[in-house]
Amino acid sequence: MTHPLPSTGSVDGAHARGARIDVERVSRRFGAVEALREVSLHVLPGELVAITGRSGSGKSTLLNLIGGLDRPSEGRVLIDGVDLATGRRDERARRELVGFVFQQHLLLSELSARLNVEVPLVGAGVAARVRRRRALELLEEVGLSDRAEHRPAMLSGGERQRVAVARALANDPRLLLADEPTGALDSASSERIVELLVTLRARRGMTVVIVSYDNAVYAQADRTMTILDGRLDGGGSPP
Amino acid sequence: MSAIIRANLLRRWGRTLLTGLGVAVGVTTTVALLALTGGLSRSAGDLAKLGRADFAVFQAGLADLTASSLPTSIVTRVDRVPGIAATAPIQVVAHAIARSPSLLVYGARLDSFLARRLVITGGRFAHGDELMVGSGAASALHVRVGDHVSVEGRELRVAAIYRSGISLEDAGVVLSLPVSQRLSRRPGQISTIAVLIAPGYPERAVERAVQRAIPGTVALGDPGEVSRVDTNSRLLTKAALIIAVLSLLLGAVVVINTMAMAMIERRTEFGVLAAVGWTRGRIARLILGESVVVGLGGALVGLGLGALASELLVQALTASTFVTPAITPWVLGRGLLVGFALGVLGALFAVWRILRTPTLKALQR
Repeated sequence: MTHPLPSTGSVDGAHARGARIDVERVSRRFGAVEALREVSLHVLPGELVAITGRSGSGKSTLLNLIGGLDRPSEGRVLIDGVDLATGRRDERARRELVGFVFQQHLLLSELSARLNVEVPLVGAGVAARVRRRRALELLEEVGLSDRAEHRPAMLSGGERQRVAVARALANDPRLLLADEPTGALDSASSERIVELLVTLRARRGMTVVIVSYDNAVYAQADRTMTILDGRLDGGGSPP
Repeated sequence: MSAIIRANLLRRWGRTLLTGLGVAVGVTTTVALLALTGGLSRSAGDLAKLGRADFAVFQAGLADLTASSLPTSIVTRVDRVPGIAATAPIQVVAHAIARSPSLLVYGARLDSFLARRLVITGGRFAHGDELMVGSGAASALHVRVGDHVSVEGRELRVAAIYRSGISLEDAGVVLSLPVSQRLSRRPGQISTIAVLIAPGYPERAVERAVQRAIPGTVALGDPGEVSRVDTNSRLLTKAALIIAVLSLLLGAVVVINTMAMAMIERRTEFGVLAAVGWTRGRIARLILGESVVVGLGGALVGLGLGALASELLVQALTASTFVTPAITPWVLGRGLLVGFALGVLGALFAVWRILRTPTLKALQR
């Protein structure tokens, strides 16, 4: 399934900081299993795109390919024209461009909320004082300034996911990828996380791609697309 | 990164402690054996420097220099070698003092330079059947001037306490050579001849001249040379080296295994670090950092335990006055180096495993 490349540009002028995503005829096979089949997808800078589909349909595979965590069997994925999977220094490119929010928050259990947020900054070689200040700012931004020194075990599920969001924002990414960020949360917490992501997108102008089953996500997305048996069922290009 | 390393190590403090203990065992054994063999070499070296001699003449081809046996008659032949300024025949008797068998008894002519160079710190110079006790031996035997010490079953009066500056000499007793030969039932026999060289004569040339003049003898002046000739201390050093290497291998297996297990358990964590932009090099440095901190921590404990173990070992072997463990900065430095090396070694396998795992696979729990 292919879609013509849209014209360059952004959702609106305020979202010019976001990254552009171009997924071009991407297939991904795991042995005999074809998880994605010739998927093409184009996301404009600043767009908030929701991807849905049944379990095992290939949603997370697509997200991992966009984020450079996996390499396509065929085709290519470009983030602002950069192929993260073939770049010689893909970790650095990923750090500068992409922030991840995982379903199971994946916080480091022995570190406080603040140190968890600092982790990407440590990877970027940011000085300790700057790291601390930036982590505290981000925790304030996600409404957890009073939980900075709490470890994940001392936080609720929703709070942990907000720390994970703050961590994803630490390197000021231009693209935020969230893989079922509300999947393990109750409805009230889910609603707050979706609100947070929408607010952050509006405030920072970044591009956001969310894999989710959550209706609240669809309601807030600029575009929703469905993956069925490894194929994108419409919505691959901006309207 | 240090905060993360600290948190990671404290998170599983039990494992950190046990890994450190594995390193500590290796370092303890290494330090204890190095200190002990160093002390042994030093003691062997002291034998050639009794009386602050320039060199000493021993029977050739012996495994243990204290077992050297020479006839007293050769002393005059040594005296005739050009370049010899003075000689002091000495009989070294081991196990002669029942209360402390590790103390050596030195039978020497009381008019020789060996006796004249003793600094008397208490009492007066010995006469007849009296003896003089070195400061180390006096502490070990708890004797003072006027007390009696049993030598080969014969009670001899302590005439003086002395210091010579030679550890081995201060850890023994000196009595007259005829008395010593009579008590040990070895009349006419000595163990070594301490030699002073006349000014202007090169030591090596005089040593060679003595060896040529009296075949079957060996002249030793350099303490390092003594430990090479003394095959007993050489064998001990080699045995100690083998034990140290074995214990280090054991320590390395413990550290590598524990680190590898810990890293496999933390695979997801490293996947997260890669996903948030940590380079493989930085992840490797984190693992290496944790492992080296544990290694050095274990090494510090091992240094203390090693020093203690070496002292306990010489006491257990009742050799504390004969051998003093040589806890030198170089011995301690090698202990630290071993801890560092074990830390690096422990991390290498874990780093290799982690860096071979694709980020996505690492993230999948």
